[in-house]
Amino acid sequence: MNSTHAEGHSSGRQRLENSKTLEEILHTATSFEETARNFYRDLAPKVSKRIRWLVDELADEEQRHFDLFSELMRRDDIGEQIQARVATPAADHRFSDAIHLPDLGDAPDDQAVLQYALGREHAAMEQYRELAAATAPGPIHDLFAFLANEETQHKAELEKLYYEIVHSGGV
Amino acid sequence: MRAENYEARNHPPSNEFEINFGPNHPGIEGNYALKVKVHGDEIVAARADGGYLHRGFEKLMEQRLWIQNIALVPRICVPDPAPMEVAYSMAVEQLCGLEVPQRAQWLRVLLLELSRLAAHLFTFGGHAATTGMYTPMFWGVADRDLLLDLFEELTGGRVYSIYNIPGGVRRDIPDDFLTRLSDTLDYIDSRLPDYDNLLFTNQVFVRRARDAGPVSQAQALDWGVTGPNLRATGLAFDVRRDDPYLVYDELEFDIPTEQPGDAWARTLVRRGELLQSIRILRQVIDRLPDIGGPIRAPIPNPLAWNVPAGEAYVRIESSKGELSWYVVSDGGDKPYRVHIRGPSSMHAVQVLEHLVTGCRIEDVAQIMFSLDACPPEVDR
Amino acid sequence: MSAIDYKKSGSILNPLKNLSFFARPAITEPLEPRRASLRYRGFHLNDWEKCVGCSTCQKVCDNAAITMVKVPELAEDPLNGVRNLRPAIDYGRCCWCALCVDLCPTGSISLSREYVHTCTDDQLSSYFMLPDPNGMHKEFFGEGWNKTAENDLVDPQRQAMNEMAPDARIANFDEIVAGYDRQQAIIEASRCVQCGMCHDACPTHMDAPEYIRAIWQDDLEEAVRQIYNTNPFAHTCGRVCTHRCETACSVGKRGEPIAIRWLKRYAVDAFTPEQIQAIVGTGDTTPTGRQVAIVGSGPAGLTAAYDLARLGHAVTVFEGLDRPGGMPRYGIPEYRLPYDKLDADIAVIEAMGVEIRCNTWIGRDITLDQLHTDYDAVLLGLGLQLGRSTRIPGSDHGGVVKAVDVLRDVTAEIPETVPASAVVIGGGNVAMDAARTLARLQRQVHGAVRVTVSALEDFEHFLADPEEVTEAREEGVEILDSRGPKACIVEDGRLVGLTTLKVLSIFDEQQRFAPKYDDGDEQMHSGEMVVEAIGQMSDTALLGEALTERLAWQRGRLQTDDDGRTSEDWLWAAGDMVRGPDVVHAVADGHRAARSIHRALAEAKMEERAS
Repeated sequence: MNSTHAEGHSSGRQRLENSKTLEEILHTATSFEETARNFYRDLAPKVSKRIRWLVDELADEEQRHFDLFSELMRRDDIGEQIQARVATPAADHRFSDAIHLPDLGDAPDDQAVLQYALGREHAAMEQYRELAAATAPGPIHDLFAFLANEETQHKAELEKLYYEIVHSGGV
Repeated sequence: MRAENYEARNHPPSNEFEINFGPNHPGIEGNYALKVKVHGDEIVAARADGGYLHRGFEKLMEQRLWIQNIALVPRICVPDPAPMEVAYSMAVEQLCGLEVPQRAQWLRVLLLELSRLAAHLFTFGGHAATTGMYTPMFWGVADRDLLLDLFEELTGGRVYSIYNIPGGVRRDIPDDFLTRLSDTLDYIDSRLPDYDNLLFTNQVFVRRARDAGPVSQAQALDWGVTGPNLRATGLAFDVRRDDPYLVYDELEFDIPTEQPGDAWARTLVRRGELLQSIRILRQVIDRLPDIGGPIRAPIPNPLAWNVPAGEAYVRIESSKGELSWYVVSDGGDKPYRVHIRGPSSMHAVQVLEHLVTGCRIEDVAQIMFSLDACPPEVDR
Repeated sequence: MSAIDYKKSGSILNPLKNLSFFARPAITEPLEPRRASLRYRGFHLNDWEKCVGCSTCQKVCDNAAITMVKVPELAEDPLNGVRNLRPAIDYGRCCWCALCVDLCPTGSISLSREYVHTCTDDQLSSYFMLPDPNGMHKEFFGEGWNKTAENDLVDPQRQAMNEMAPDARIANFDEIVAGYDRQQAIIEASRCVQCGMCHDACPTHMDAPEYIRAIWQDDLEEAVRQIYNTNPFAHTCGRVCTHRCETACSVGKRGEPIAIRWLKRYAVDAFTPEQIQAIVGTGDTTPTGRQVAIVGSGPAGLTAAYDLARLGHAVTVFEGLDRPGGMPRYGIPEYRLPYDKLDADIAVIEAMGVEIRCNTWIGRDITLDQLHTDYDAVLLGLGLQLGRSTRIPGSDHGGVVKAVDVLRDVTAEIPETVPASAVVIGGGNVAMDAARTLARLQRQVHGAVRVTVSALEDFEHFLADPEEVTEAREEGVEILDSRGPKACIVEDGRLVGLTTLKVLSIFDEQQRFAPKYDDGDEQMHSGEMVVEAIGQMSDTALLGEALTERLAWQRGRLQTDDDGRTSEDWLWAAGDMVRGPDVVHAVADGHRAARSIHRALAEAKMEERAS
């Protein structure tokens, strides 16, 4: 977990900042998703079957991002694509502020997994957003904004799931 | 429809004919027959023959919820339906011990007197027609229509008001209703000289109606004759005054009477009552704005309404006479038994049979109409 | 009074008077069709948006002129009391009395201002019309007779329930609600229009119209019989049911719904468990020789036990705690559900021949495998007995507890130490239960109430029932909405309170949960105890790793078929653990599982005979 975490923050950021082309940026981003996917896939057999669906879903979601970025890299009309999708950025909320990143033990429960995933999405979102803010308008700025938007959306889905599972109806 | 009327009999003498007046005949307010035997122009025997309008009201009411009957009861007398609703509601109120709010009582009087007015306009128009004078009938029906407009405004229906329910009435008067009522009353008032000119002082009518179907006071009392037909024999009896209900004891009105007890007297009494109804309605117009409060006492959910076991007897004065309702509840959600004494059931059978016997054939229709009988009251 | 002398034959010139008519204006009527009066009782109009298809118009119709017609394009929504039925009028029967309007619970029906309807060609089909708001054949003449306060025959007000005043109830656990007396119950029952929306909305489809009718007729034995058709937790549901019936109630569309829950309570409270048993009988008691083990003695487990015992199966219920009843006993405070009332329900169930073994924890005292070996079928009826934690900083402190644990401990025995101040995190009914329970204890021990509830949701989207919020406030509980928990504050090893942030909004534009916080608005709520009441889950440790792995799961819950059978053919699951927390859902689930078990046992018997 520590390595993934680190990659998502300092060294990852450096690598992204140093990236010059759209392709390079996408390549780096794709590798982040791959790392996360592998993390969840490794975790799945370790958790109880009762919550394995959650870990599987997270892995699938990372895989979806991985596929999306890989596909974008292969296309030549990439600039247009990104612009179209950045046009409607999802709102960012700071729900995760109140949730601290836990230390996932050997057999984490559903809440721990969700909190980890939320933290990761939040960190990724913040990072892409900062990068977007730091770059001048242009394709690279758009790409970062696009990535931030993707992560924001994913985080929103996770927050909903978190509410459903942990705040089970609040009876 | 009486079976015996259709049995094979000894063939009548060849100079006697049997004639059916009705069941479809303008001489009566509905389907009703009078089978008369004529010898020349003279009626030698008569048999009232009802049943053409039999819908089994009394029995039907036993199958319906207390509230559902309010839609059924006005149909027992088409020209004057309001007394049916009021009497039924009063009977149910008596059984339940429901206190009807003052304003509702005044509104009921308003409805009853409007209905009486409409019924009388209809009746003397009808009586005129049976003497061959159709103009008063057209006028009567046209002027009655103005009253039906008021019914429509007040109750939502032109003929069957279905305005009363046990506990009170369904709606308060609409805006400016009293003004329009007052205007209509003024108009009808202004029409009376025309009616007098055309009908009541018209010698064609007077000579036809005088001495037609006379009833003596003693006979009337023996036969259970009530209402205008009784008052035409000189007896001033009116339930509104002699056994007051609603707020009639707070109202000023006279009881018109005539002496001869014939067709002319009966119709003339109705003319007098028309004036009295206008007088009562004017008092209602004056008083109603000062009477506040609800128009209905709270009643239970009509679908779950058990009326306490017991029996209620209610009598009121309809335009035809004394209308009484006897309602029995066994504590259930429907009446156990209902009996309706429609005044017409006395007038249209034995009185009519007696009166036409011996008269001339051209008077049969006007005698029938002058009794103002309502066949469904017979066929209830 | 006659002013007319018949003997006067009048002047010969009398006919000339009629010449005056020539001088009078002629009466003319316009040729255009005229509109009927504003309250005319013309043809039916029906607002399909308002109409819920409750059929009350049909019931009050004098002439059976109304037929309810299914309109498949319309949505059915039993939970909100909406059917896709709409009234059709047979104008060969209608008498235009407008009682349908006066008694319509929703006010959707009115009558038009159309005097006479004329139609041509293909419209000539019949007298049978399905009214909509547009008028017959889309000819709209305006609305005539409609529902007003004057002619409305629906009684919008329910019978008030007597409740203990806040002062009287705050220092004890006595039941707050007094229950209806005979007169109140009969009047309340009489408000029912017998539409059956309650039956459709109820998870266990209670025959509510029938028992309400029986209560109205003062036939309480019949009412109990109807109640027990579908629900052996009548005392419990008569008090704490989530009463979806009342949400769906047609009368509730404009007024207050019929107090169906209180009526049920009134009916069953009239009898002792022995009398109830005599009324409902014991079913078919011919033993089948089959044995069923049920884990958990809550509503799901005991309902299944009741059904199975009445079908002749030998049923043993295993309960880990001291007393049977499950979450209703250990999760619902006594002031809402007195223990003796729960005992009454259980006594009736036991009288059917159900054996309940308390203090027997499956997975610890007896393994599930053992039950599998010893019994023909096993049903799991577990509640959500584990509280969820916020896992905010400091939440691992010993003074931070879960609401379910607090409630369970108080049921078991009144605790010796009661915190003088407490903060509850959560905005649902469990949070209210915990807060109000603590408030009572504080009043008893410390003489003053110091409980703060901090809820994430704002009052617009509050999860707890409004009456719970009102009553909790009356009892001195402070309730704060839109507060997100930040940290439990520990000073020198001692818990001193909770800090929260203001929630700016809780849902995003798509109504998804996504709270926004205001970092600038941080508050500290002091408390020696912090109670977490945010959510619960079931404890499935008893399944063991191997069985957990074998079983199919569905998003964190055991996967079952519609009748509660799991992927293992000997194991069923029912109630909160598969359905989420709700007593009446658990009862419904218990019935379904019992039917399924009974069917499976019968099939097994057939196979045995065949082989």
